[in-house]
Amino acid sequence: MARKTRSKATKLQLVWPFFFILFIHCLAIFLFTRGFLLTRTELPHFSNCSDVSHSPCFDSSSIDSSTSPSSFSSSAPAQESNATCWTKPAVDRLVIIVFDALRFDFVAPSSFFPEKKPWMDKLKAIQKLAAEAGSSARIFKAIADPPTTSLQRLKGLTTGGLPTFIDVGNSFGAPAIVEDNFIHQLVENGKRVVMMGDDTWLQLFPHHFEKSFPYPSFNVKDLDTVDNGCIEHLIPSLHDGNWDVLIAHFLGVDHAGHIFGVNTMPMIQKLEQYNSIVEEVVEALTSQSEPGGLHENTLLVVMGDHGQTLNGDHGGGSPEEVETSIFAMSFKNATFSLPPELDSVSCGLNADAKPLCVGTVEQLDFAVTMSAMLGVPFPFGSIGRVNPQLYSLGAGDFLSQGIQVEGHENDSNIMRWMQPYVNALCVNAWQVKRYIDVYSASSVIGFPSEDLLHVAEMYSVAQENWMHVVKGSLSHMNESCPSSFSAIKKQIDMYAQFLDSVIGLARSKWTEFNLKLMVVGLSIIFLSLLVQVVAIKRVDTFYESSLSTRCPQASVGLVFSMFAVIIRASSFLSNSFILEEGKVALFFLGTSVIFELRNSFKKANMLLETASLLLLVTALRFIMESGLSKQATNLSSISSILGIARDHPFWIYLSSIVSMLALFSLAYLLLKYIRSNSCQRVQKYVISGSILCYALIASHWILDSELLNLSVTLQYIGRSHIPRVIYAVGIVQLVVLVINQLLIRKRTLYHQNDLASRTIAMLSAWSSAIILLSGKQGSVVALTTVGAAYCIFRLENLWQAATDGTSSNISFYSLPTTQWSLLAVVLFFCSGHWCAFDGLRYGAAFVGFDEFKLVRQAILLAIDTFGFSHLLPIFGLPLLVSQRHSINQKKETKLSLSAQLSQIYLIYGFIVTSSVACMVLCVTIQRRHLMVWGLFAPKYVFDVVGLILTDFLICLGALYYIDPVEDDSKQN
Amino acid sequence: MEGNTNLQASTFGLLWWHLLCSSGIPTAFWVAHRFQSVNLISTPHRTLLVLWVIQCPFVILLSSFFRINPRDCSYLKAVGRGVLGLFAGALVFALGAISLGAPVGSTYMLGTINWSLLMSLLTVSPAAAIFGSSWVDWKRIFAHTRPAGSVDFMVCLPAHGSIVGAWFGAWPMPLDWERPWQEWPICVTYGALVGYLIGMVASLVLGFFSRRKPYIKAD
Repeated sequence: MARKTRSKATKLQLVWPFFFILFIHCLAIFLFTRGFLLTRTELPHFSNCSDVSHSPCFDSSSIDSSTSPSSFSSSAPAQESNATCWTKPAVDRLVIIVFDALRFDFVAPSSFFPEKKPWMDKLKAIQKLAAEAGSSARIFKAIADPPTTSLQRLKGLTTGGLPTFIDVGNSFGAPAIVEDNFIHQLVENGKRVVMMGDDTWLQLFPHHFEKSFPYPSFNVKDLDTVDNGCIEHLIPSLHDGNWDVLIAHFLGVDHAGHIFGVNTMPMIQKLEQYNSIVEEVVEALTSQSEPGGLHENTLLVVMGDHGQTLNGDHGGGSPEEVETSIFAMSFKNATFSLPPELDSVSCGLNADAKPLCVGTVEQLDFAVTMSAMLGVPFPFGSIGRVNPQLYSLGAGDFLSQGIQVEGHENDSNIMRWMQPYVNALCVNAWQVKRYIDVYSASSVIGFPSEDLLHVAEMYSVAQENWMHVVKGSLSHMNESCPSSFSAIKKQIDMYAQFLDSVIGLARSKWTEFNLKLMVVGLSIIFLSLLVQVVAIKRVDTFYESSLSTRCPQASVGLVFSMFAVIIRASSFLSNSFILEEGKVALFFLGTSVIFELRNSFKKANMLLETASLLLLVTALRFIMESGLSKQATNLSSISSILGIARDHPFWIYLSSIVSMLALFSLAYLLLKYIRSNSCQRVQKYVISGSILCYALIASHWILDSELLNLSVTLQYIGRSHIPRVIYAVGIVQLVVLVINQLLIRKRTLYHQNDLASRTIAMLSAWSSAIILLSGKQGSVVALTTVGAAYCIFRLENLWQAATDGTSSNISFYSLPTTQWSLLAVVLFFCSGHWCAFDGLRYGAAFVGFDEFKLVRQAILLAIDTFGFSHLLPIFGLPLLVSQRHSINQKKETKLSLSAQLSQIYLIYGFIVTSSVACMVLCVTIQRRHLMVWGLFAPKYVFDVVGLILTDFLICLGALYYIDPVEDDSKQN
Repeated sequence: MEGNTNLQASTFGLLWWHLLCSSGIPTAFWVAHRFQSVNLISTPHRTLLVLWVIQCPFVILLSSFFRINPRDCSYLKAVGRGVLGLFAGALVFALGAISLGAPVGSTYMLGTINWSLLMSLLTVSPAAAIFGSSWVDWKRIFAHTRPAGSVDFMVCLPAHGSIVGAWFGAWPMPLDWERPWQEWPICVTYGALVGYLIGMVASLVLGFFSRRKPYIKAD
């Protein structure tokens, strides 16, 4: 009894560090992710016209008596209050021309900048209009929020929110916007939207457009296709009456920036071309802007989605990237100027020395301002505020309909404009408050409660004021007394303050890194490295106590592997090395093999194994290159050399035959293994089950192939039944193995062969599902892996002889474990993955299933993604221990084997953690890097998920493989 | 015990060998520039060809003077061994480079071939000319890295220098600087040549040093 407790304690002693490390890593990653990966929950709610009756802005009495907002339109009878939805429309039609990556200094006159640069003052048409047209046209500096990539910006512009890197929502892979947005509201409210240009719009809004003329945006080197397509359709469309909102998205400036940079001839040519486009558009609109004309009440908006640096890059948050421009022009003239409190401008001279003023808007305000002007409900998730300057451009409509009031013309005009504006702000404030409330109630990570309270207080004060003061003054508005004027102004200020504090809160939540949390998380990860080193050393003491004393010494292998691990980890500092990570890992693996080759020459031993390992590494390299081209066939790269068309049936046949052959050789190897080795009966059954599965996979491939014209039922069986059978067999195999492990505890004979056969049974149970999911490439990769793994654990003994078997575990296992982990990294890339979300093989989630269920498909996708790179290497790691040639067989007790097992798992965990820790450090350093959202963040997500998975699998592996040590205590 | 340990060369011969072998590389660059009007960046494979063709006589002809058993082996035979080693070594280097990730395909083929020939010339050829088929010596130099004597240094250090240099030279290749010299095999060649020259200096210094204490490793 006493002995039994001791034995359990020993297993516990060996296993608990793994759980501890898993816990530390989870904690560190949780903290770091909270600081770095800003997440926002997408809400599925949509704004409706009828919602507004819940708001305090239109109480029942005001709607009945139609005091507001239609009270000042004498021509508007009561029934028209149905037509005005949330706000009274100020413009009828809207033309949005988006110039991608439009820097602010492309638009603003050069006198605004300390120095005139060649690319400035090229859009003279805009400057001329802004200077001459009085209050109906204006240039704005528009501030975008990072990440400043086109997709995120378009999302931000249309939803009026702050898209983060991870918008938690319903979209699984597809980028289509599921949140409420401006375009959705337009369509819902019967506006016809026409789109031309960048096809990103179609990805975001697949079903919204009445008509669309998309052009591919992928080819950065193509400066003209998208623009010419836009021009072709834009001017004719302007003479059409069958749309309400027109969107034209030009890409040329963005592409010119990416390829050539800002200060180059192609860029200047593009800008000059755009200048003439603007001239043409304005001419076409003006010609039809007479009363009763097509564009009597049209608003033209020319805008950029984000800026760019002088090198043409964008994505980050530097001033050059976030400062873009909006030019807005209304074709209804109105002499009217805003009160100076609402009108913050900076003025200068344009190229013709005429005074020109430039306002500032946030891109965040775009969606809500445009919604207010067109009179559609504001997007549910918008947190912007109706911008007074932009809104005032549509004032012409209110002024012309207004009653002529005695007194100062401008003052009364201001009053007439301020009424609808304060109304719009009221609805705006109510809508933002509603969003904040719903968001904090339903999202996982809400806002801090004290901030919420503060905001709610501001809102209630503002609404109180609205109820008592403004409503009173509204009823007397016709008198336009100065008291009501100042009351409205005060009301506007209160709303503006409320909205500003909400925006500030949202910004801090969704766009600012929490550096403190990041540093804490980072330091915990580095601390965990220390813990792992201590744990590795600690196992050594167990080992020494059970066996004769061994002095740890620095071997060549240890030095080399440390060198490789450190250099590989620091290579993540550069985005280029992250892009080429697979090749870099292969380079190290190859180098380590060449290093081994040198050693095996020294020993004149195992030359064959080393040479074949080198050949296998070369083979992996070619598999990786073909896998990265995302082709189903693994021979596609050769096709380009031999000059046979890629989709020629010859290649399909050849690749099928090669994968079949690989599959059969795998089955043969397993068969040979169970024939020749004396493993347990259960394990024999499990391995035979895998061989059966391989046969099923082969038949699945045959039935699934399009070359044979099989009947539909057969194809259906092949496509869905066979994979399900394979999954079922895999699960049964695993259950049997685990039960077997739990039941048969007391084995009298315990040696390395037993460990090896358990490992192989485990691997074979997993392998069939993984090969099935990774497609035809899978079997070839698996066969190459088996070969490489065999060579690696054969070669580990090469180093043993060097120190006459007295080397410590650390120096013995460091090199093979490093090679093993490098092989795992290489396998990730070989099986057709890369560290980006488009590198996930979504097709694998649907092998055997047609309908989508989140949990099931996510598990399949995870097995496909991490199968070759995490599952198999970690469960196969005990092979390294089982193949070690021991000097004295009798001394290989259970404890020593278990100790070695736990040590090798610790070393593997250490290697993985060290590269992830450096990755996290690099992400922290590069958090303002251009590529942070494109490259570093996806890499971070993959690495972190991989690390947690590694830790978790190591825990499972340790539980499964490490045996309770019983007879050892007898010996000692 | 291990072959011809402590093989020594005359001070004069040592100096000449190092000077001439080192001067082969600048000469080749000059010739490539002057007569072929090519450089390593514009047309790497032509320049590499010029490099190894010009360096070839310097290395093989000069190294053959230091052959280990001048009585049994004629000078011409040593030269022949050097040439044979050049081509055999080139094959090994080409395979090694490809397994480490050198690009394959028709555009890079000439570059890879010429680069391997140059690498082989800097590493394998002198060893082949000097040691011939003496396996023990090869092992001592390349597997154990235990050079003894000035001739050993002369073979060992520049060879290791160029291999290590080429290895490090591959590092800038993935960077997105979009410089023409990041192409295979340009920066690898630069790395190899720098490593070779450093190895040359080291072997010259160590060669003289080991001459002063000739019995430092006497068995």
